[in-house]
Amino acid sequence: MLTTAETPVRDLAALLDDLSAAEPSVRRAAARDLAAHPEAAMPACDRLEIEASPSVRAVLLTTLIHLQSPAVAVRLAAHLRSEDVPLRNAAIEALQEMPDAIAPHLQDLLADEDSDVRIFAVNILGALRHAQAPEWLAEVVRSDPHINVCAAAVDALAEIGSLETLIDLENLRRRYDGNAFMEFAIDAAMRRIEGQ
Amino acid sequence: MAASTAARLKDQSPAMTDEEYAKFCEFFYRKSGIQFQAGKKYFVERRIADRIEKTGAESFRDYFTMVRFQTTGEELQLLVNAMTVNETYFFREDYQFDALVDAILPEIARTKRPKEPIRIWSIPCSSGEEPYSIAISILERWSQADTWDIEISASDIDSKILHAARTGMFSERSLSRVSAPLRSKYFIPRPDGNFQICDELRESIDFSLVNVIDSLQTHRFRNIDVIFCRNLLIYFDDVGRRETVEMFFDALGPGGFVCLGHSESMSRMSSIFLPRKFGETIVYQKPLSVE
Repeated sequence: MLTTAETPVRDLAALLDDLSAAEPSVRRAAARDLAAHPEAAMPACDRLEIEASPSVRAVLLTTLIHLQSPAVAVRLAAHLRSEDVPLRNAAIEALQEMPDAIAPHLQDLLADEDSDVRIFAVNILGALRHAQAPEWLAEVVRSDPHINVCAAAVDALAEIGSLETLIDLENLRRRYDGNAFMEFAIDAAMRRIEGQ
Repeated sequence: MAASTAARLKDQSPAMTDEEYAKFCEFFYRKSGIQFQAGKKYFVERRIADRIEKTGAESFRDYFTMVRFQTTGEELQLLVNAMTVNETYFFREDYQFDALVDAILPEIARTKRPKEPIRIWSIPCSSGEEPYSIAISILERWSQADTWDIEISASDIDSKILHAARTGMFSERSLSRVSAPLRSKYFIPRPDGNFQICDELRESIDFSLVNVIDSLQTHRFRNIDVIFCRNLLIYFDDVGRRETVEMFFDALGPGGFVCLGHSESMSRMSSIFLPRKFGETIVYQKPLSVE
């Protein structure tokens, strides 16, 4: 018979101790079991900042998806500035799994002075299960001054854009008139959205 | 009667343009790992039409919007369930069994100490075709089979299907890819036209009831060398997939392998495994040394 018993919850203090154990398997087990402790979200975020093992990082991020909150999303979004590419990509993937938690922070990310951070924010939006995602991407196309950020938004709109965004793409095409890459990307996105 | 049914079903079609179909397929592949070719449009349309009717959506466009942006992902999950077909038979996707005996087991054997068991775990094992196919492939095709202690575990969440696996009774259809020599060697014909797998094989596999997301139940699986987990993760949401492959990571010994279904890719679930290509199949390896 399948057990209906609840998995016993391990003591939080012991789990936090294990989170800095020498053996990665002990840290993975602790990171996984922290998902039962909502108050462990910030300590898990702290550990993620110094954790070097990819497998432990992966489990920490899965736990943070479970414990998601706007505060967790802000901590993860800080990794968008990281030079550690695997960690940055893992953070983007985790943030895509927490639409309600990251949504309040996305406007800040989309207004960041660093264009790379804005591109990563667009990458999050492209796969975010959030009703506002197409409109936020359209706003990027309307207002972002950086061509690479706009190009990333065009890519994302090709997948999730609606007919209402066509006018913004047409305007963007005019803004980058003569730029072969942008014309190609915008035309392809418009064709996809129009269902041609 | 048949004509009116056909007309009703035709009316349920969601009327997707080819571009919408392509867009849907790309989205569905990204989310589920399941790929549909152009020839599957009718199959896909029928199932979408059914989901449109059940959800009360006005059109394909409305329904697609809901699937993409529903925060809970519930409708996407229901759509995945509708798009998958539970079907199994002996030597399904047999190129993975070829890879097992031609490359994976020899590689594992090179790093094993003598008398150390080689452990294989089939999950979900359904009615047993997969673990029995693994056992037969090893017995028939791996020259070192008699040299090693090989433990095959097989697990499923469904107790009824597990009972069927232990009983080992199979239909002619299930054995369609089993050659006559193998049938006579490993199966006993029954009066009702079915075939029962021989006792020796039935007793060689350790069947157990396991829910893959219950860590209490999976904890006893450690130092596994090869996990066959085919066409299960397509039923899970993204977080469920992450948790399951992370559980596999702990269940595997160093250098252990995970074999997924042909339409599933680890790259969309986790980056902690190394992809390895053996013949026509890609499998995923836990690093020999885990930092």
